[in-house]
Amino acid sequence: MNAPLTLTHYMVVAGLLFLIGIFGALTRRNIIGILMSIELMFNAANINLAAFDRFLHPEGVTGQTLALFVMTVAAAEIVVGLALLLAIYRGTDTVYAEDFNLLKG
Amino acid sequence: MIDQIVFYSLSALVLASALAVVLHRNTVHSSLFLGLSLAGVAGLYASLGADFLFGAQIMVYVSGIAVLVMFVVMLLGRASDLHLRQVNERWMAALLVCGVAAVGLFKIARLYSANVATVAAKPGTHDIGRLFMGEWILPFELISLVLLAALLGAVFFTRTENAR
Repeated sequence: MNAPLTLTHYMVVAGLLFLIGIFGALTRRNIIGILMSIELMFNAANINLAAFDRFLHPEGVTGQTLALFVMTVAAAEIVVGLALLLAIYRGTDTVYAEDFNLLKG
Repeated sequence: MIDQIVFYSLSALVLASALAVVLHRNTVHSSLFLGLSLAGVAGLYASLGADFLFGAQIMVYVSGIAVLVMFVVMLLGRASDLHLRQVNERWMAALLVCGVAAVGLFKIARLYSANVATVAAKPGTHDIGRLFMGEWILPFELISLVLLAALLGAVFFTRTENAR
């Protein structure tokens, strides 16, 4: 508990968060649940970027800037994802991924 | 000592609420836990000395994305969803994928166990601004185009038939 914090500490937390996100994206039936799990994975990557910036290159802020870009793309992704979900829901009346078979002839 | 207490408690908060996001049966509760988990990640940024990232995380994720997800959950939710299975039947295979990924991730993470922070964290907002407006001006402008495309896409996909 008293050991100094290393890069490994942050990488392990980010790795666990990423694994939880993968598990959610693979197992949730609800599309909104899948989108939320994808957000968790984006956040895990961002923690890693900020930690690399702090521990490996403390003189610059490139890692933090890259994390800001990831954040912006994640925001755009969830907005388009939720808009598509609303459009599909209007036609199929369901939010469960296995019922989305519009392309099946 | 205070660093370690802050780090371990924030990590426990983030991971516990992320597990609740993934495993909770009620999607409304899931989205609330998502907000909690993202706020915990903001705390981790603060512990890393990334001040602007901390603010952006609170503004974009906790008060933007989490609220947006909550709105959509409440728009599309039904009372009957609470009695349905929220996890598909292939969760064993998903667990296997996670196990394989975990081995690789932790093998890499172990390589950096000697890296400790040597210099004190300093505010980075000024440098981020210089980087955005100087060296990274092209990606910065491109990302604004991406946001504009997302905005137009959201409006296009959600408008109803009788409106067009």
